[in-house]
Amino acid sequence: MSKTVLIVDDSASLRQVVSLSLKGAGYQVIEACDGRDALGKLGGQKVHLIISDVNMPNMDGIAFVREVKKNPSYKFTPVIMLTTEAAEEKKRLGQEAGARAWVVKPFQPQQMLAAVSKLVM
Amino acid sequence: MDLSQALATFLDESRELLAQMEEILLRAETAALPTDELHALFRCAHTIKGSAGLFGLDAVVHFTHAVESVLDRMRNGELELSDALINLLLESQDHIASLVAAVAAELPPPEFEGAPLRARLEAFCATTPATPAALPATVAGGDPVVCSATEAAPALEVGGSVALGAEHWHLSLRFAPEVLRNGMDPLAFIHYLRTLGELVHVETIADTLPELAAGDPENCYLGFEIALRSTAPRAEIEAVFEFVQDSARIVLVPPAARVEEYLALIEALDEDPRRLGEILVTCGSVTARELEAALAAQHVQAEAPRVGELLVEHAGVPAQVVQAALGKQKAAEERRASETRSVKVPADRLDALIDQVGELVIAGAATQLQAQQAGSRALQETAANLLRLVEDVRDAALRLRMTPIGEVFNRFPRVVRDLARELGKDIELVIRGAEAELDKSMVEKIGDPLMHLVRNALDHGIESPERRAAAGKPARGRVELRAFHESGSIVIEVADDGGGLDARRILAKAVERGLVAADAVLSEAEIHRLVLAPGFSTAAELTSLSGRGVGMDVVKSSVDALRGTLDIHSAPGCGTTMRLCLPLTLAIIDGFQVGVAGATFILPLDAVVECIELPADAGAAGYLDLRGQVLPFLRLRALFALEGAPPPRQNVVVVRFGGRQAGIAVDHLLGECQAVIKPLGPLFERVAGIAGSTILGSGEVALILDVPQLVQRAIAHEGRDTGGAPRARFLAA
Repeated sequence: MSKTVLIVDDSASLRQVVSLSLKGAGYQVIEACDGRDALGKLGGQKVHLIISDVNMPNMDGIAFVREVKKNPSYKFTPVIMLTTEAAEEKKRLGQEAGARAWVVKPFQPQQMLAAVSKLVM
Repeated sequence: MDLSQALATFLDESRELLAQMEEILLRAETAALPTDELHALFRCAHTIKGSAGLFGLDAVVHFTHAVESVLDRMRNGELELSDALINLLLESQDHIASLVAAVAAELPPPEFEGAPLRARLEAFCATTPATPAALPATVAGGDPVVCSATEAAPALEVGGSVALGAEHWHLSLRFAPEVLRNGMDPLAFIHYLRTLGELVHVETIADTLPELAAGDPENCYLGFEIALRSTAPRAEIEAVFEFVQDSARIVLVPPAARVEEYLALIEALDEDPRRLGEILVTCGSVTARELEAALAAQHVQAEAPRVGELLVEHAGVPAQVVQAALGKQKAAEERRASETRSVKVPADRLDALIDQVGELVIAGAATQLQAQQAGSRALQETAANLLRLVEDVRDAALRLRMTPIGEVFNRFPRVVRDLARELGKDIELVIRGAEAELDKSMVEKIGDPLMHLVRNALDHGIESPERRAAAGKPARGRVELRAFHESGSIVIEVADDGGGLDARRILAKAVERGLVAADAVLSEAEIHRLVLAPGFSTAAELTSLSGRGVGMDVVKSSVDALRGTLDIHSAPGCGTTMRLCLPLTLAIIDGFQVGVAGATFILPLDAVVECIELPADAGAAGYLDLRGQVLPFLRLRALFALEGAPPPRQNVVVVRFGGRQAGIAVDHLLGECQAVIKPLGPLFERVAGIAGSTILGSGEVALILDVPQLVQRAIAHEGRDTGGAPRARFLAA
């Protein structure tokens, strides 16, 4: 059974590239453009990993992860946050919200693929 | 993996973000920015940088990184947004745009301005690392808990350095209880280790596993001792565990390590050393004899610091979870709740759809015609119903292509600001009606002519501040861009409150260039229109701004190509208004069919005001009395030199354009229809009085009349009844 990954980022091109490389590696991908959109698209369905940007309009990554982690279905779902190297404060907030994995922007598609396969078997 | 499509998305997205940056920066010039706009500004640079990185566009990443750092300090309130900074950011935004443009054109990045700009940006940002090349790639910051036994006990010469024979890495993992709740699956990491090499042995340490009843099912109680045969460097193996740095204790022992490294490992762990020793032996990392020898040796060196103590000191303490107060950051997010959702579609697909709808319209008309001829009532009703639906589909399809004119207007605030500075003038730009919509293809084509008109208004229209002061006007000049809909067209006006056109000078110049005879008597409006004539280039006044080798005649011809018109209203001392009138769409219109001498012509329905009967005593052309109003009119039959005698009763269609009305005398009125506009082809496209052609339901071709030209023609004829003499000239190409 292939694993499902949710990618949340306001940049369509970033989503497209990540989605292409993940699909190439056999994952199923759901795309969302911000936190609110992502919550709508999740709707309780099973995902194996969430990748989320921090800085987004409407609902940012931190608020999104906090919201997602309230739902028992996603208690054990790993979350990768995309961040800048300078975002220590955001990182702390993200950790409190429930995100433990971080990938620094800008990254190469294969770096993302490596990070994903560390968290999802 | 084919990235070309994603790259196209990136280019679009960057252009939008850059436009947004510009808009915000320009707003910052007049008023302090609210926090959410500062955040939006940062996000623009941030998103561009992040996406550019995915495509390996290093030039964009490095430069945008510098911009982003400045914006980051701004949004954190560490940096004031001064005039100088706005200028610098605008220049930087331009530079990013040129970098992105270079990517789009597949050219190497233009490097010349990059370095100085970056230096200036970095000056605003003392803490920015000077070498952006040193951007970390993946490793997040934080306390490195992944520690190596070698680092922890660097100089210990215990036991005479017995090199162990193991050819594999030994990994010792102890996961914190909350690791599962953090979404981390220890098995996934172990699984991933296989990508680096071969798992020789995995020993599970379940010593802390409590009684079934006492345990928390969500806790992780497991540790692992792993022998991994791999040629990967230490950093790569450490990187496997980067996400669990904070919630696991990880010790790596390299292949062929000295025995004290194993001792360090044993000391560092909570379990009983003897049991760990056994595990190491099981893993094949250490032989029993080596272990014994090493343990014995350590007892000799009593005064040396205990290895375990050292380890704990360096890394044994689990990273503390820092309690930070939760921020209050929700307000801004909720403000933009009502953002509309949209779908991006390539333009050629839309064009294909419009083409198909055009064919559908023609086929529908043919069906209706057949139904009428067949005389079946039921069939006619069905056909009418079908036609109504086709009309709805047509409208919906055309609406897909409608874009707000604001898309074009948006670039002008920046242009006006920059030009005004360059000219030393103080000029305010007012935009009205940016939400008025017109066909996307028009939006693309109208940009350049508008740019020229605006440049002209700034350069030639608005006077210098001194002259304005002398004329008693406010020092600040005003240019207005207005758009609104009027009878099936969109009107775009560029108005300035400058000195107005100087009729005497224009006439003198036109005479000098041989455009008009020296003794010509022209009305003021006719003189104004002379500036649109080809060859009326005012070389003496050419500046770097307007001019640029393109005259107003080029503007005029590009407007003509869009089936539009360009009018000039100017009052000395009060300013000039350039009025562009364009059809809303280039594809399908509601038409009104008229018949003359057996041929069918089509008038755009929006332009038709009413129809009246032609009085029997009307002349060949001239004017009619329309309920007490003077109505200039012309006869289509005479205009196009159509043969055959007119029927005893003729009709006049009253049409309107640009606030003026005129009558067009025709033989028959045939009613409404939908007309799919087809171009006339290169041979006929310059025929005056005809705007295009269409195909009727019967399959016949009908010509679409050019109402603006006909109205002007009729008005020009008003009071000069010439008996149809000019028709030859009128029809000439």
